Amino acid sequence: MSGHVSPIRPPLVTGNKTYHQITEDLISPTERVPSKAWILGLILSVSVFSFGAFCILWTIWNGIGTWDLNRTINWGWDITNFVWWIGIGHAGTLISAILLIFRQKWRTGVNRAAEAMTIFAVMCAGLFPLIHMGRIWLAMFIFPYPNTRGPLWVNFNSPLLWDVFAISTYFTVSLLFWYTGLVPDFASVRDRAKGLRKKIYNFLSFGWTGSAKHWQRWEYLSLILAGIATPLVLSVHTIVSFDFATSVIPGWHTTIFPPYFVAGAIFSGFAMVLTLMIITRKILGLEDYITIEHVESMNKVILVTGTIVGVAYLTELFIAWYSGYVYEQFAFFNRAAGPYWWSYFGMMFCNVLSPQLFWKKSWRRNIWLTFFMSIFINIGMWFERFVIIATTLARDYLPSSWSYYSPTWVEIGIFVGTMGLFFTLYLIFCRVAPVVAVAEIKAILKTSGNQYVGPDAQHQHPKDVKVESEPNHTSI
Amino acid sequence: MNQYTFSGTAKTVTIGAMIVGVVSMLLTWFVGADDLQSRFWSNFLHNSTFFLGISMMAFFFIAVCITAYAGWASVFKRVWEAMSANMLVGFIFMLVIALTTYFHWNHLYHWADAAAVAEDPILNGKKSFLNPNWYLFGTIIIVGTWVVFGRKMRSLSLDEDEDQGHDFAKHRSMRIWSAVFLPIMGFSSAAMIWQWLMSVDAHWYSTLYAWHAAVSWFVAMICLTILLLIYLKSKGLYKEVTNEHMHDLGKFLFAFSIFWTYMWFSQFMLIWYANIGEETTYFLLRREEYPILFYANLAVNFLIPFFVLMRNDTKRKLGSLAFVSLLVFIGHWLDFFLMIKPGVKITRDDHGHMAAHGEEVVHGAAEHGIHESVASSFEVGYTIPGLLELGTMIGFLGLFFFVTLTALSKAPLIAKNDPYLDESLHHHT
Repeated sequence: MSGHVSPIRPPLVTGNKTYHQITEDLISPTERVPSKAWILGLILSVSVFSFGAFCILWTIWNGIGTWDLNRTINWGWDITNFVWWIGIGHAGTLISAILLIFRQKWRTGVNRAAEAMTIFAVMCAGLFPLIHMGRIWLAMFIFPYPNTRGPLWVNFNSPLLWDVFAISTYFTVSLLFWYTGLVPDFASVRDRAKGLRKKIYNFLSFGWTGSAKHWQRWEYLSLILAGIATPLVLSVHTIVSFDFATSVIPGWHTTIFPPYFVAGAIFSGFAMVLTLMIITRKILGLEDYITIEHVESMNKVILVTGTIVGVAYLTELFIAWYSGYVYEQFAFFNRAAGPYWWSYFGMMFCNVLSPQLFWKKSWRRNIWLTFFMSIFINIGMWFERFVIIATTLARDYLPSSWSYYSPTWVEIGIFVGTMGLFFTLYLIFCRVAPVVAVAEIKAILKTSGNQYVGPDAQHQHPKDVKVESEPNHTSI
Repeated sequence: MNQYTFSGTAKTVTIGAMIVGVVSMLLTWFVGADDLQSRFWSNFLHNSTFFLGISMMAFFFIAVCITAYAGWASVFKRVWEAMSANMLVGFIFMLVIALTTYFHWNHLYHWADAAAVAEDPILNGKKSFLNPNWYLFGTIIIVGTWVVFGRKMRSLSLDEDEDQGHDFAKHRSMRIWSAVFLPIMGFSSAAMIWQWLMSVDAHWYSTLYAWHAAVSWFVAMICLTILLLIYLKSKGLYKEVTNEHMHDLGKFLFAFSIFWTYMWFSQFMLIWYANIGEETTYFLLRREEYPILFYANLAVNFLIPFFVLMRNDTKRKLGSLAFVSLLVFIGHWLDFFLMIKPGVKITRDDHGHMAAHGEEVVHGAAEHGIHESVASSFEVGYTIPGLLELGTMIGFLGLFFFVTLTALSKAPLIAKNDPYLDESLHHHT
């Protein structure tokens, strides 16, 4: 098994780890008393989240009028934030499902945290449409069921309703996928624990014993979930893009939106994974599991998706000109030269130009630059959604209704509050579950551990096994 | 055996196919009902773009695999290298189209008619992109770049065979060429597809069009790869290419057939939903006047690969793989037919109309699918592929295989110094 790894593949687990050391390294953070940094982080996150919760209550109590939306710009920060968070929620399932199918071994270092991040990001995203309803107590109206309200049915023709289905399906499958992966790891935590803690983790691991039958069923379930999750990676942001693209608004109605939104979502998702993982690996000392190779691979994904997004931006721009349709042409002129020109340039600069730095290998492997860039891309992708939403709406067909929009403190507070929620959940996750998938790291150790492959390998295997089934290759 | 010799039946069959193609093209020319020879030229455009795209995708996939550290396919990467040798052939054919457009010897493109452009404000607005000069020079520059990259990669790969040490310097160099090619391909393929294909319907536009056509090329490339490998295996070659490799190719065919459908659906659904006349005309015309092709396109390119290849075992059996690959290959050829022919037909009819009545006709009306004089007319070669179209395709396919097999016979079948070869020989899914 371990004999057939290309000599140019770098190791993905460093530090000559044994199976026991892997368990120690990855599970012990859940057993220690939290560090000061963690407590400080939690206090900060919870405070920010509390302020966000206050702003949400303020909105619900006083109404949507506390936001600065108006007749012309009726979607603003709310939907921008919604799309932004949903986009961030894409990396986890991409890593766990699509990279699994493509047998990318480096996924094992980051999949657990990325999936957790996905779930938290989708939770943050889901808040916005709910608050945006104005009368949140009527939220159950989005569920199609026989009722006594007329009967008042949902509009099945509306992409907003498709969103409800797409996102709830995505959330459910992501959660199941994440939890399935956690079951054997929870069992490992349980095996090291005592007392109440042991009981809790035993419950969480469904009484996992590690028998062959358990593993077999676990593998089967993972495969089925990966199969279901793969189309979901594409469908969620496709349907979010339909919210815009099914309209007849110039700048929104364009057929490239579905794949372009998906590429952008993966782009921003990876940026957020990097932001979190660079901090996490430092604080928890996981540099042997989330190595520079992992960082470099993710930076490559960022470079690729950033460039795909760049192709899409330029396609839109070009086709707007090519269409010969004056409203389409104006929509793009307005983006680049209208009142929100700064957000268009912010978007282009952060999303298309700056990732090009990652063509240079040493920069892809630079932790500080990567961290800085990941923040940059998160900002850029927020700008992208703002450009699509607010900029387009600000200049509609009727110049007398043209308008300008800037958020109130309530809108800013809610956005910042969702970040508080996100980090609160992530910090709790770091304490209760292994941040790196223990069982999966063990599964790749013999093909990717630095003592088995790469320049420092101690267990060398004969290299010259070329074309071994060739009977008479001396005659060539 | 690590060496393929191109002789005997293979040579006879490919040359025979080429003769069929030449005869079909000659017949098309001489039985051509109109003096513009639009049927001949559109068949030429259809097959040239289709096979050029397939060979470019073969090269693109080599570049993707190298960039992504994908090792599973390196045992048969020479097949893709050989397929990409066809880029040069496609380049020459596209040059023929570009030159005949430049000299107005064909009438494939409405925008190539200066008089019509002057009359038409929309075409006038597109003049700086849709014009014979840029068509010619864009094609030369862009396809020329693809050819240069393809040849460079091939020569690096052949040099790698001669390497003695294990420093993989050639491979590192290939990685740089591959990585540089990816963004070039991303931008330039879209520009070419707009120019060659989308501009057949000169008024119509869709931002997703280029990606949809590119995925069509990609799927057709996977089909031909599977068929070619099955053929070579039947000759006792490539014993190292096991069911595991075929299984993975089958997965690519399965996954990218779904992806193609995703592209098709995204484009169709958004245009259908928004219901803007300038856009719906494209699909309305195809759905109303080309119903068989319109639905067959989806059935062959989505339903068949989806349901047949969903199972594990059908991706591992050569029979079912060959069956699906052949059908899907023809399916994507039909997809291209459906992209090109309706627009060409309208352009030709308009031209005929003008000539007959000696007056200018507003072209836009025809593109909106309401051209009274031609509505619901059935015409072999335009509304459905006839024997001549089939013959032309067989000729191009024969040439494609002729060039591929010739290139394949020039080098050992297995690139013995590829750094991933050991992984690929022991690949299991």
